[in-house]
Amino acid sequence: MLRFDFLEARNLRHAISLLERHGDESRVVAGSTDFLARWRQGFWRPAAVVNLKGIANLGRISYSPQNGLRLGALATVQSIESNAQVRRRYQALATGATSFAGVQVRNLATIGGNVCNASPAGDTLPALLAFDAQCTIAGPEGSRTLPLTELFLGPGRTALKQGEVLTQLTLPAPLPRTGSLYIKHSPRGAMDIATVGVASVVTLEEDGRTCRDARIALGAVGPTPFRATDAENLLKGQELTAGLLAQAAEAAEAAATPIDDVRGTAGYRKAMVEALTRRTLQYSLQMASGRAMPFEEQRRLAVQTAF
Amino acid sequence: MATFKVLEQNNPRVDAWEKVTGRATYAGDVYLPGMLMCKTLGSARSHARIVSIDTSLAEALPGVRAVITGVDFPEIRFGSGALKDRYIMARDKVYYIGEPVAAVAAEDEITAEEAIGLIDVQYEDLEPVVDPLASLRAGSPSVHPDLENYEGYGFTIEGGNICTLLDADRGDVDQAFRDADHVFEDTFRSQGINQGFLEPMACVAHVEANGRLTIWASTQGPYQVRAQLASVLNMALSNIKVIPMELGGGFGDKLRLAFEAFPALLSMKTGSPVKLINNREEVFTQNGPRHPVTNYIKTGVNQDGTIVAREAYTIFDVGAYLGAGPNSGIGHGLGAYDIPNFRLRSYAAYTNKVYVGSYRASGVADMTFAVESHMDMIAHKLGMDPLDFRLKNAIKEGDIAVNGSRVPRNGLVECLTAIKEQLGLPKELPEGHGVGIALCEWRSGTGPSTAAISVNEDGTVSLLTGSVDISGSDTSLASIAAESLGIAMDQVIVAKRDTDLAPFTGPSGGSRIVYSQGKAVEMAAEDTRNKLLALAADRLGVPSDALACADGSVYVQDNPPQALTLGQLAAMSVTSRSGPIIGNASLSTLPYAPVFSAQAAEVEVDKDTGQVKLTRYVQCQDVGVAINPMAVEGQLEGGAVQGIGRALTEDMQFDPETGAVRNPSFASYLMPLALDLPELETLLVRVPSEDGPFGARAVAEPPGFGPPAAIANAIYDAVGVRIRELPLSGERVLAALRGEGNDIAYIGDELEELKRAEGLSV
Amino acid sequence: MNKQPLTMTVNGHERQILVAPYYSLLDTLRDELQLTGTKKGCDEGDCGACTVILNGKAVTSCLVLAMSARGAEVTTVEGLATPDALHPVQQAFIERGGLQCGYCTPGLIMAAVGLLEENPQPSAEEVKFAIGGNLCRCTGYTKVVEAILLAADRMASLG
Repeated sequence: MLRFDFLEARNLRHAISLLERHGDESRVVAGSTDFLARWRQGFWRPAAVVNLKGIANLGRISYSPQNGLRLGALATVQSIESNAQVRRRYQALATGATSFAGVQVRNLATIGGNVCNASPAGDTLPALLAFDAQCTIAGPEGSRTLPLTELFLGPGRTALKQGEVLTQLTLPAPLPRTGSLYIKHSPRGAMDIATVGVASVVTLEEDGRTCRDARIALGAVGPTPFRATDAENLLKGQELTAGLLAQAAEAAEAAATPIDDVRGTAGYRKAMVEALTRRTLQYSLQMASGRAMPFEEQRRLAVQTAF
Repeated sequence: MATFKVLEQNNPRVDAWEKVTGRATYAGDVYLPGMLMCKTLGSARSHARIVSIDTSLAEALPGVRAVITGVDFPEIRFGSGALKDRYIMARDKVYYIGEPVAAVAAEDEITAEEAIGLIDVQYEDLEPVVDPLASLRAGSPSVHPDLENYEGYGFTIEGGNICTLLDADRGDVDQAFRDADHVFEDTFRSQGINQGFLEPMACVAHVEANGRLTIWASTQGPYQVRAQLASVLNMALSNIKVIPMELGGGFGDKLRLAFEAFPALLSMKTGSPVKLINNREEVFTQNGPRHPVTNYIKTGVNQDGTIVAREAYTIFDVGAYLGAGPNSGIGHGLGAYDIPNFRLRSYAAYTNKVYVGSYRASGVADMTFAVESHMDMIAHKLGMDPLDFRLKNAIKEGDIAVNGSRVPRNGLVECLTAIKEQLGLPKELPEGHGVGIALCEWRSGTGPSTAAISVNEDGTVSLLTGSVDISGSDTSLASIAAESLGIAMDQVIVAKRDTDLAPFTGPSGGSRIVYSQGKAVEMAAEDTRNKLLALAADRLGVPSDALACADGSVYVQDNPPQALTLGQLAAMSVTSRSGPIIGNASLSTLPYAPVFSAQAAEVEVDKDTGQVKLTRYVQCQDVGVAINPMAVEGQLEGGAVQGIGRALTEDMQFDPETGAVRNPSFASYLMPLALDLPELETLLVRVPSEDGPFGARAVAEPPGFGPPAAIANAIYDAVGVRIRELPLSGERVLAALRGEGNDIAYIGDELEELKRAEGLSV
Repeated sequence: MNKQPLTMTVNGHERQILVAPYYSLLDTLRDELQLTGTKKGCDEGDCGACTVILNGKAVTSCLVLAMSARGAEVTTVEGLATPDALHPVQQAFIERGGLQCGYCTPGLIMAAVGLLEENPQPSAEEVKFAIGGNLCRCTGYTKVVEAILLAADRMASLG
């Protein structure tokens, strides 16, 4: 816990120039939830923080069938959780957001912060990956886009370069007959870091049986959250029988490379990948087949409440 | 049930307004002019000789006013209970990671923090001892090689790491086992537990120019803090005033001296007030938690289900120091049952971990998990209903309790019956669901208690006791005074106390306040009433036995209009022969009054994840009389939730190599949240105690004992696996479901060693 | 790193103070504004004891940089009651026994106030989610949930 200076970014260009000027000595903050907790633990020791929170128009959430879902990097996790379009079309993202910490932290934490922290256990990340999120990044040389799958390099490490700021995440509009869910495995119904998190997205063909597309992303079982592509490939073009879902779940388990820590052993985590992949696929399939599932019910499944 | 005017009513807490408005003042809320902030440096090593400590860079940092190390304190060992095994700050050796080795006072917290980082300690490592079972083995390194020379040491066994033994025996146990139709034995292990109070350890110390030290403390035991401070600072007791501030939870960990001596010494050095507030990591790593306990239990039973013999051994890890004293859990090795022959032993072993503290009837929750799981296992093996098996062996009025006392009238059977009816036992539940019960026993706490009541001219009374409010005890004491004196609750003023002002009282812990302190208040109220009656008799010209005291007046029973209000009497008393009215009482101990509670859990086990969902929790406790039913229920609910956390999610993990706490935060030490609980069902049985105030019994401890066993038994009922180690985590349950692992260390070899050392046959 | 000027509205009053750039909103309220009703339980965002209402939303004030609250509206537990009456949530906590040691109480009350501002008629389940970030070691939460539901009913009937 060492002193730091507070630098207020007036706009994006100002933020980039502050970050360029202060380089490694500075640290971006927005919601500051992760930053302050880890600064007090001595993990972060910046000379200055650059506050993005005051930048206008960087927290918008919008949806259109053409452009999909656009999440400004400063959108809070709570605003995403309670957004009607997110709840309706991106259930895995709404349930990922709802399983994140508690409401007081969700009201502060930003989606950009959750992404840039690049925690293997970040609760919104599997859903963003499973919805093929694209990152918009502003930097000294202008703006660029990058698939989210290419952003994560390791625990806490991203492909962002000096002076770059994540400004937006774009999630393509789901096709009709799509369902999705995130389930977080942890001992409590809130406030935990995921032992394992799994997000699945299932899209059916017009026949209502054949899988047109399936995407599965895993959290807390590798150095970064990642897509279980072998498992996805087993499902595409197939009729989704219980047996096939179980095979996909086993393939996801095989792709997981977890560690032992205070939250669980590697062996248990792998077993949870299997169980949660199977479940998220089942529920996603149900929703894709047209069974409406109220958000309250999704939420109970996502955080495994006691009631 | 007797009719009461104040008791048995849901009156609001006396401190409720202050607490809901944010006005209640806790130790951390004390801000004094010129106050400095204190931070401590914790040891980076688990077991090491301190070669040198260089504080020069820290002292030179602008804003730093003083730095202290262990040698700045008098070379005086202190301890809890009889054994003096520690210094207040490490002198020549460190015994656990996190042990304070230096402290700084600076103008603000961040400067103090920076200064701590500039202190250079050179260590020479010694071999650490982390596993308590290993610490018993011959050839284990010694945590305290000099143990035999410590003041208060009274027990010796080869190996040197055992510091205390608690034992109790009755009958010929070995013969009874030989004669029994069946003998069952099991080993259980419970995990490390943190008290989890929300208010971190905090205090402010200020030494006046005249040398008098004032401590604004977060404590359950102001007189204990005063005495221990006087000892470690080598000061006169009378030169210390401890002001117990509002207490943000203690649960046993704030019964004794914590770090108050650091800001006290820093205040002496600087002349300024000094504040110390632990951060949450320090609470986990530096304040005595509960360590894992291994309980071995053996029971001899006859074919008809009668228990004839019990043997129980506890191996209790105390960490680096015997912070909370020996483990009293062994005294509950019989459970709530009448067992004629028994041998109970609890060995405490040192290891290089943070020293052990007290927590809500220390050791009894661990023992109840063992006893009540074991009881269930026996019932199943005998083919008996678990509830009937318990009823058959339940201790009754007139039996002799483990402590040798005659068991008085109690509500044990009523509690079990109430649970049975509430749940409709025995019952069939859907696949994957199960129900389990546990029976819990405790005794009403006692110990030195005092109270004084003075009557004010407006008819209110001022109540002075030395006990710190925990769990609404001030409200209970005010209720008892009001009921006794026939006045309303809001006519009782509970004085804010300190050690200069209030008479000596034992600490607030062990469920003793309502039972014993409440008794002192009842007796003081009686004394007050007698004085009021005597004065009224004199002024009204009638004998005092013709008078009654109710509704704020003393009146002639045959002619109620002939009366004097308490206010009038108080005003008259000022000039009366006997002077202003004040009633006093003190007592040291009250007789044994058991407390019984029956608890039941319904669970759903997720066979894919092993995760246990608690779907229902029912408890019924014999409270004697409910001083305030809302407060009593609150105690029972809160206690049960602590036990539910112990059962399912809480787990202080220690590094097996270094003994360091691996999860020192609320993000990794998982206490239950509102989302994790069903609505709790709380039932009260009222069989008055013989000696408690108005028949009240202790309340606070038993609710936390039952959940681990009730839930473990419910898991067995649901899916047929028996988990003997806490917590009952998804990982453990899944492993058991898959037939993997779930076996805990066999401790037979260690027990044989211990028995041989004691001269018992093996 | 000198203190910097900060203006914000706290409990309806505009406050102009100087704050160290690394200070949290929680430390600012307690150390600079003497509003000690807001409690520090963990300083890591894990317990909810420091909950205040920031621009209409319940937040853990230990995780807010004070300087980022420039121009903000902050309500703490001290700002709920009027001179004549407690806030209905405060009153309900007293009547239903929703508090014991009291250390988590201001945070729970503020979380409840935050919930009721957005959802005046919550179900018991919604209450549990809204206080899912608040640790309480004394009460077991049952009476806390009851108190919040009682307050919601009373506030609804008052309109």
